[in-house]
Amino acid sequence: MPELREVVIVSAVRTPMISASMMSQRDFAASRGSVSIVFSLAGFLYFGLGIVSGPLADRWGSRSLALIGMILTGLGLALAFRAHGMALAAALALTAGLLHVFNHSIFKSLLFFGAGAVLASTGERDMERLGGLIHRMPQTAFVFLVGCAAISALPPLNGFVSEWLTFQAILLSPQIPSWGLKLLVPAVGALLALSAALAAACFVKAFGVTFLGRARTPAAEHAGETDRFSLAAMFFLAALCLVAGILPGFFIDALAPVVQSLVGARMPVQSGVDWLSIVPIAESRSSYNGLLVFLFMLLSGALAAWAIHRLASDKVRRAPPWDCGYPDASPATQYTASSFAQPIRRVFGTVVFRAREQVDMPPPGALQPARLTVEMRDLVWDALYAPIAGGVGFAADRLNHLQFLTIRQFLSLVFAALVLLLLVLAIWP
Amino acid sequence: MAVILDLVVQGLQMLLVLALAPLLTGFVRKVKARLLLRQGPPLIQPYRDLARLMRKEVVLAENASWLFRVSPYFIFAATWVAASLVPTFRTGLLFSWSADFIVIIALLGSARFFLALAGLDVGTSFGGIGSSREMMIASLAEPAMIMIVFTVALVAGSTQLSTMATFLVSSEVGLRVSLGLALFALIMVAIAENARIPVDNPATHLELTMVHEAMVLEYSGRHLALIELSASMKLLLYVSLIACLFVPWGLVSSGGAVALLAIGVVAYIAKLAAGGFLLALFETSIAKMRVFRVPEFLGAALMLGLLATLLLFVSRSL
Repeated sequence: MPELREVVIVSAVRTPMISASMMSQRDFAASRGSVSIVFSLAGFLYFGLGIVSGPLADRWGSRSLALIGMILTGLGLALAFRAHGMALAAALALTAGLLHVFNHSIFKSLLFFGAGAVLASTGERDMERLGGLIHRMPQTAFVFLVGCAAISALPPLNGFVSEWLTFQAILLSPQIPSWGLKLLVPAVGALLALSAALAAACFVKAFGVTFLGRARTPAAEHAGETDRFSLAAMFFLAALCLVAGILPGFFIDALAPVVQSLVGARMPVQSGVDWLSIVPIAESRSSYNGLLVFLFMLLSGALAAWAIHRLASDKVRRAPPWDCGYPDASPATQYTASSFAQPIRRVFGTVVFRAREQVDMPPPGALQPARLTVEMRDLVWDALYAPIAGGVGFAADRLNHLQFLTIRQFLSLVFAALVLLLLVLAIWP
Repeated sequence: MAVILDLVVQGLQMLLVLALAPLLTGFVRKVKARLLLRQGPPLIQPYRDLARLMRKEVVLAENASWLFRVSPYFIFAATWVAASLVPTFRTGLLFSWSADFIVIIALLGSARFFLALAGLDVGTSFGGIGSSREMMIASLAEPAMIMIVFTVALVAGSTQLSTMATFLVSSEVGLRVSLGLALFALIMVAIAENARIPVDNPATHLELTMVHEAMVLEYSGRHLALIELSASMKLLLYVSLIACLFVPWGLVSSGGAVALLAIGVVAYIAKLAAGGFLLALFETSIAKMRVFRVPEFLGAALMLGLLATLLLFVSRSL
């Protein structure tokens, strides 16, 4: 599906534009509820896009969308709260959105660096032709795993913090008096959770197929670790993912001036809270402490490892894989990206992507191979971008012969344009 | 002094969930066997299995990576931390504020992420089928769970489990439609998340429809012991969750005396036994469904949760 990459690029360009237009909207009071609903719907639409492309697209670049949806939801909620005079809640929603922009910039860069390292080392862009890279590129695999876990919103990394803050903002929204929003926001919450879960599925697939299992091609088999400078950059970003995850209070406080200037309020100061927890709203008594969760996990994991190795057994024997007694030597028998996505494609793709599977099974004794063909259509592309692209192409075709005019015709064209513009200027009131 | 007591209670809770988890699994197996008129293994069989597995050597597939060896410890740690933060016999535990309901769900999500990766690590077809289906189930179970969190959080005004339990035990809650819907949704999600019949069969080991068992097929020895223990703790966590939110009676509040704690523990064990019995009864009375019926089952849970949240968005008293 080559169109998906273009969808990503288009939406990546459009998202900052929408955010910019939202931010430049000084007169919030005039916009009231309707604008905010529209922006929540924009978030909603991007969710739709994110879900559709998330677990299905097989290209490296097409994963931003669920996360952009999450950012836009934060911003849309902030507008809605602000329009109804709930400044603190607006500050919370905006902080969640902005923190996610920050987090996104960290783990997305990390993942692109990782993808680049894999590309440089193997020359392969298609993950169906990779596999087993964790043995050849152990350090890249480790940092890429951190990035995958962070983008899937898993605690104690940073992606989870902004998701958690967004959920806390959604939980404040029943106080908004607008009925449209009352019905819209729970659905947005459900879609947010759905897109987070699908992101996890997508990144299990991406990491599992690229780095785990057995090498599918010689290129993957003979890959080598990337250079030290790339590794240093990736390790720095991975460390930042962890730090922003376990000490989110400092990052929330750093965003406070921006939030203050945009919605006229800020979240309570977080760095002064006991034990470095974050407490977004004092009344709800909801809190999260990434540092303690991280330490608890580290301690209990280490305790289990120590106790078992010390008191029980620490022996390891290497043997062929078990696979229920039927291991197959060919790496082609592994799960591929498309087979991994098949259950999800079957659940969601049949509706949102019009996915159709066709199994062509030759009769017993026939020599031709069995085939499974999957047909998918990107409805958003078809309905939204394809007409625009088609219109531009059509106009370009029609105007093409203007390039082959004679000098006389060119001069008359310029003269006509000049007259037309002067006429417009004269008639214009 | 009070801090020391709090620390002791928190430690007690961590040990309690760890110690009781295999017992609950054994109890469910025993009740299921008795309902089928079989003798069944003794209650302590899961402990014996764990002890035996721990002492055995690990047989590791030749191309297993470090991730495959680290994952069991990570999964165990994430599940143990999550289970220790659910109020079991006492609310307001010392560290209960460090993680709320959403974090507990997300910690289980982390455990599942690594389990699914471990299933893909050796590069066998069974591991892949398990991981792929597990993520499909999770992609519906997680949003349903978040909707349940929203419902209870909107009723109780907090996402903190201790606050929720304290509020739900008070008399001002009453019977609510939304909580009823959330309870049904939570039970459905719990069945799917714990790989129980009708979604998955915990007793299978060679079946094309297996999900959880397919992912852990390559594990052996102490690694398998940790995975089994984590699975038991996850079952205990979900039963505790249902108990603390929907049957919160008998929970001791934070200021309670030591004598009350004993009552709390007894009440908790009684709730676990009742939960385990009902689960066994449900599992013996229903057949396993096809894998692609599972999305319909979980979709129903998601819709129930969404409906409950919508009701609360419309009116806080529903």
